[in-house]
Amino acid sequence: MSQTGANPQQLSLATRLLGLIAGGILTLLSVIFGFVQDQPVQSIILYALATMALFFWAWKFILPHFLVEREHAEDTHGPGPFRRIWIDYRPSLIGLALIVLAFFILAASIDGFLNGWNVLSLIILLAIIVATRTIGPLFETNRSAFIGIMVLIGLFSVGAMNIEGFSSGWNIKSMLLFASFLGLASVGQTLVALLGGLDLSIPFVIGAANVGLLYLISLGVPPWLAFCIVLTIGALLGVINGLLSYRLQGQALIVTLGTGFAISGGVQIITSIGTAYGGNVFGTVPGWLSNLAAMNGKTFGIPVPAAIFIWALTALILVVGLRVTVYGRYLYALGVNRISAKRVMISELKYWVMAYTVSGFFSALTGALLLGWSGGGFIGVGEQYLFLTLAAVVVGGTSLLGGHGGYGFTVIGVLVLQVLSSFLVGIGLDYEWQQFIYGLLILPMVALYARSPHIRTQI
Amino acid sequence: MKIAEIKDPVAVETETVETPRSTAGRSDPSMIVPITLFYVLMIFAVIRSPSLVSASGIGSAVIVATPLILATYALMASVISGRGTVDLSIGPLIGFINVTLVQLVTAGYFTNPFAFFGLAFLLGAAYQLIFALIVVYVRVQPIIVSLSGFLALSGINLVILPRPGGMAPEWMATWGLGTTVFSPVFWLLVIATLAWVLFTRTAFYTHLRLMGSDERAAYTSGVPIAIVRIGAHIISGLFAALAAITFTALISSGDPSQGTTYTLIAVTALVLGGASLAGGRASVFGCALGALNLYLITFVLATFNFGAVQSFVTDLAYGTILVISLLLTLVLPLIQRYARNFSPLLYFVALGVVVLGVVLHATHDYGAVSDAYVVPPFPGPLDVVGTMRGIFETGALDPQTEALRTAARPLIWGVVILVLLAGLARVAVTEGKTRDVGPLVFLVIGLIVLVTAYSISQSDGFSFGIGSDAPHEEGKP
Repeated sequence: MSQTGANPQQLSLATRLLGLIAGGILTLLSVIFGFVQDQPVQSIILYALATMALFFWAWKFILPHFLVEREHAEDTHGPGPFRRIWIDYRPSLIGLALIVLAFFILAASIDGFLNGWNVLSLIILLAIIVATRTIGPLFETNRSAFIGIMVLIGLFSVGAMNIEGFSSGWNIKSMLLFASFLGLASVGQTLVALLGGLDLSIPFVIGAANVGLLYLISLGVPPWLAFCIVLTIGALLGVINGLLSYRLQGQALIVTLGTGFAISGGVQIITSIGTAYGGNVFGTVPGWLSNLAAMNGKTFGIPVPAAIFIWALTALILVVGLRVTVYGRYLYALGVNRISAKRVMISELKYWVMAYTVSGFFSALTGALLLGWSGGGFIGVGEQYLFLTLAAVVVGGTSLLGGHGGYGFTVIGVLVLQVLSSFLVGIGLDYEWQQFIYGLLILPMVALYARSPHIRTQI
Repeated sequence: MKIAEIKDPVAVETETVETPRSTAGRSDPSMIVPITLFYVLMIFAVIRSPSLVSASGIGSAVIVATPLILATYALMASVISGRGTVDLSIGPLIGFINVTLVQLVTAGYFTNPFAFFGLAFLLGAAYQLIFALIVVYVRVQPIIVSLSGFLALSGINLVILPRPGGMAPEWMATWGLGTTVFSPVFWLLVIATLAWVLFTRTAFYTHLRLMGSDERAAYTSGVPIAIVRIGAHIISGLFAALAAITFTALISSGDPSQGTTYTLIAVTALVLGGASLAGGRASVFGCALGALNLYLITFVLATFNFGAVQSFVTDLAYGTILVISLLLTLVLPLIQRYARNFSPLLYFVALGVVVLGVVLHATHDYGAVSDAYVVPPFPGPLDVVGTMRGIFETGALDPQTEALRTAARPLIWGVVILVLLAGLARVAVTEGKTRDVGPLVFLVIGLIVLVTAYSISQSDGFSFGIGSDAPHEEGKP
């Protein structure tokens, strides 16, 4: 996870031997447990190998970070260890104490609050906070991803313990499906944010594609052709967005909002000319499109809707592409410092327009998939994505100022938001409470890793 | 922050060409767009619906537009403070104050006007204080704080009041009628505007603008930036409270979901009014005009009969006008080169005279037209031909006015030609020395003079005016 961190040092021989022995013991333990539980021999071998590989990998790549930090810490002679811990982690310790206090107050005031599950949830919550404060800083560049994964694990385990059916296959499938809609919608937002822009036209393009596709199909255009046309138009709208906002980069937020309004208004006018029902389109969605995105959809016989695979493939291509290809590296170069990027002949206009084009394309794709999911066109289908795409990008850890982050981070952000929303639905909170909690949670999550430096350090 | 500084060359350019602070009000080309748009919309609105310029017409316009203008003021206070503080949560905040007050009043508390106002101010200021404290001390980007506030407040609004309802206090019942111009809402608007103008005279405001333009410079020159930022947010909260009160007066009930629209409209109005979302530049005059422009757009569009697609046309127009006016800000430096002595006030007054003429024409020349104009049944299929018929004027003129108009036509065209000539001459003088543009300018002027002379010699009057059937034959000597 953190190959790009502070350069990992070579482990000493003793440490390596120790790791070898520990790994061996662990593998032996797993083999013994396997035989005790009467597992088939093949799976015992498989699991033992997997355990050993995972352990050695972790030993080799994660341990050096700790060692580097520890050596550094030992150099400073000063206050005693407890005193130093107090100085280093003062806010977190106060926060921990407050959380524990709040828990005891709740336990004292609400009958039946003090049960095993809640105590376990508290311990997990505390463990996440402790882990993010102590281990988190060691992962220098990917701290937000680490925190995101910790939160994800914590939320999921708490949800699985407290809510019946939370970790069932059906629920996981539905979470993944909704996450893939949000994830596809956030592709463009991530790329644009890497350049330091914002795209608020996403929800409007989603709604417009949703209505427009059904309108084209009801006109008699072959569904596959209509699908392609909608995606093309989405990409074209992205080009227009990019060209318009290129010279107005400080105000990309408001330019894209304006184009979004215009797009959704225009599409609705086109689709409602001649009908008495403004804004509503009626028609039948072709079977393959529903199969692509509906909950009971199948992909080559596997009972998982294809939208999830589309998302996974997109995520893979983007994560690898941003890391490896020239396009990806130039995108980061422009995001970090566009003047120096221009000096090495990177065309800013080209990348800016490209990012918005990708954004338009994936918004249209999301809109089309949402049509397959719901089976009916509705212009407001994308409304919630106005702030959710932004929240996913921000929670994942991509900086809105550009140059730092990536689509992998957004995937984590999307999953966190989705598991959180499932969790909130599971414990019986209404939509409005969910939104309230979303709002309150974004702030501390960002505050954990994306605080800007004090002004006095920037002079 | 260093990165953000370098990254925005366009903003830096526009910032550097700006005139010094002391004359900022007098020669600010960013006002050209809102003023022009305002008068163009005004002409449209008055011709389409002359009833706008009656006591009740203006009265109801004031009632509807005031919450919008005040919301824009509230947003402006925090936008000036820089760091990209576009407070997206301003709409939900207005909704929050609205539903909280309405619920409390319905339950019988805070019915006293002073307590009512006091609580509104307290809520607005308290929220913005928390906002500012987070921005200053936790140091999270303001846009994220505002996003977070947006989600949290729109959630809690629905918890407080699940669906529109409730009652405004009794003393407020007559505020929203809009039968006279000088309603309490109008006076609130006047007081708020005056308060803002007074605020711009203080040293605090200078500090605020300095911090918005360049926070590092402000810090190094000893401006207490934490206090200035907190102050700006509290002022924003107070204006949000006023907006919420006038909003309550407008709908005389509570509405938890209106917030989102107010955010979008207020941001749009701010940009239309020539403010810079990067911070440091905004004027109360421009913001008020921007909000009024948005109101007028809705008003003008409402006079057309678009049937079921009315709201979509409004969306389309909002979006298009927003983008176009943003693009127009790009040519501002260009305008500034020619119009160095541009005075917004003079421009405002000059266009105002023209519009006054149009208003007089619209209200007096038609007589009973506004009664004859029948609004077709609203939810019907879109009638394209019907919509396009008489895009400007809804009634026919009487013969006497028609004759007058025909007589006045040469005069009007003469004036138009003169103005054009003056403008081109001005360009010719300034640009004549540069080698590439000069000949073109002289060519254009020469052509226009020739065409004018030709058309005068061909007919007894001007033949290419509106409504005449004479063929166009310029270009064939």
